Amino acid sequence: MSVNAWELDPEFKYKVASTPGGENIMRCFQCSTCTASCPIADIDSNYNPRKTIRMTLLGMKNKVLSSDEIWMCAICQMCTERCPQDVRISDVMGAIRQVAEKEAEKGNIDIKSVRPTFEKAFMHQIEKYGRSYEIGLTMEYYQKVHKGFVSAMMAMQKDYTKLGMRLFKKGKMPVTSVLPEKIKRTDEVKKIFKSIGD
Amino acid sequence: MSTSVTKLAYYPGCAGATHAVDQEMSTKAVFEQLGIELIEMEDWNCCGAAEAEDPNMVYALNARNLVIAEKEGLNVATPCSICFYNLARTDKALKEDENLRKKMRDMDPSLDYKGTINAKHTLDILVNDVGLDEIGKKIKKKVAVKVAPYYGCYLERPSEIGFDNPERPELMDKIVELAGGTPIPFRQMRIRCCGGPLMMTRGDLAFEMSKRVLEAAKKEGADCIITACPLCHMMLDAKQPDIEEFFNITIGMPVLYFSQLLGLALGVEPKKLALNKNIVSTKEIEEKVI
Repeated sequence: MSVNAWELDPEFKYKVASTPGGENIMRCFQCSTCTASCPIADIDSNYNPRKTIRMTLLGMKNKVLSSDEIWMCAICQMCTERCPQDVRISDVMGAIRQVAEKEAEKGNIDIKSVRPTFEKAFMHQIEKYGRSYEIGLTMEYYQKVHKGFVSAMMAMQKDYTKLGMRLFKKGKMPVTSVLPEKIKRTDEVKKIFKSIGD
Repeated sequence: MSTSVTKLAYYPGCAGATHAVDQEMSTKAVFEQLGIELIEMEDWNCCGAAEAEDPNMVYALNARNLVIAEKEGLNVATPCSICFYNLARTDKALKEDENLRKKMRDMDPSLDYKGTINAKHTLDILVNDVGLDEIGKKIKKKVAVKVAPYYGCYLERPSEIGFDNPERPELMDKIVELAGGTPIPFRQMRIRCCGGPLMMTRGDLAFEMSKRVLEAAKKEGADCIITACPLCHMMLDAKQPDIEEFFNITIGMPVLYFSQLLGLALGVEPKKLALNKNIVSTKEIEEKVI
């Protein structure tokens, strides 16, 4: 990959380092223990956390932020555990994802992955009910991804009919799970979201 | 230390409160057998799971949970690996960082955590606090099966939060031995991620990761896998038929919660451990209880 010096943003690494979770990124000395330990890299050789960190340190802002790789991390912490420099790669990846979401909101980059949509839908359930609500989450996520109610319902039917029936038959989806479990003091949780933002 | 654990603040987590009813029932049954009271925390909220990207969001959500338990003067027990990770890292961060505590306090009084309790996974509590000797006195049956102990993530890493050996965790192996079973080596697979957090957004990767765990267990001759996390269980058990269909393979590997296995050894009725709710039949395991 060729790197064009005039396209680099020297501020990018500081942006990541000042985002919660990204503090230790500059400790990386590129040993690649993270990539060697990574179960995703083991499946897809295009996935390379060592390279993502190097690109971030070089300032390849747009390439990193619009890459699919940052959304492929399973947050399993294997890299974090084995890193000899305590870079805390799982957390660094999270910080890069937070920066990407903010840049996408500003319209500066495009995110192809559906993961931020899923994460937002998940957090919305907590904000509303204080707990995760799987049906609400799935409905919101599918409607966003499949752009509309009808196509969302069709996609959900395709993806969930078998699993749903399986769980229902075994009594793992009681009738009560159709409704959200709402906590009493949702105002306290809403206040957290208001202070921190989602 | 065994005599000191008599009452705990129980944090079921969102899975425990819904589809992970098998984990919920077996956890409660095991603690009941051991004479330890689990008191469900009043008005607990979601820990943020793997979806809250901002650590401050995780700290705030779990400060509220910790405060609820702290008011009762009880330590927190959770059977979910992800809930454990979020509760324990919040507990650690707030105990170490006065500025963070102030930040939480200023956000809302309900987040004013003093740091007088701790938060642990039920596996840690059973092996390290209650103790194997104490549990051993109450073992009534022998579960003579070969078991693949699957630890996944968070129980053992990152190691400043985890409570087991990060490269070769062993607490579930000890439970298997106590129950009269044989743990298989299961080498690197015991600490490999199941892919659960990617299920909704990169299902192809998640399926491949779970398939590898299931196939390794089968290849090493395990009669069943045990796990301590509802997301691992969802991937390996509830989605096992989907994985078989996706790759056009046959696996047929029963996946139990470690609490279900331990419950059998403690002489609890299989139905009370919700073994009839597991997706892959556990009948052959139940038949080997002697």
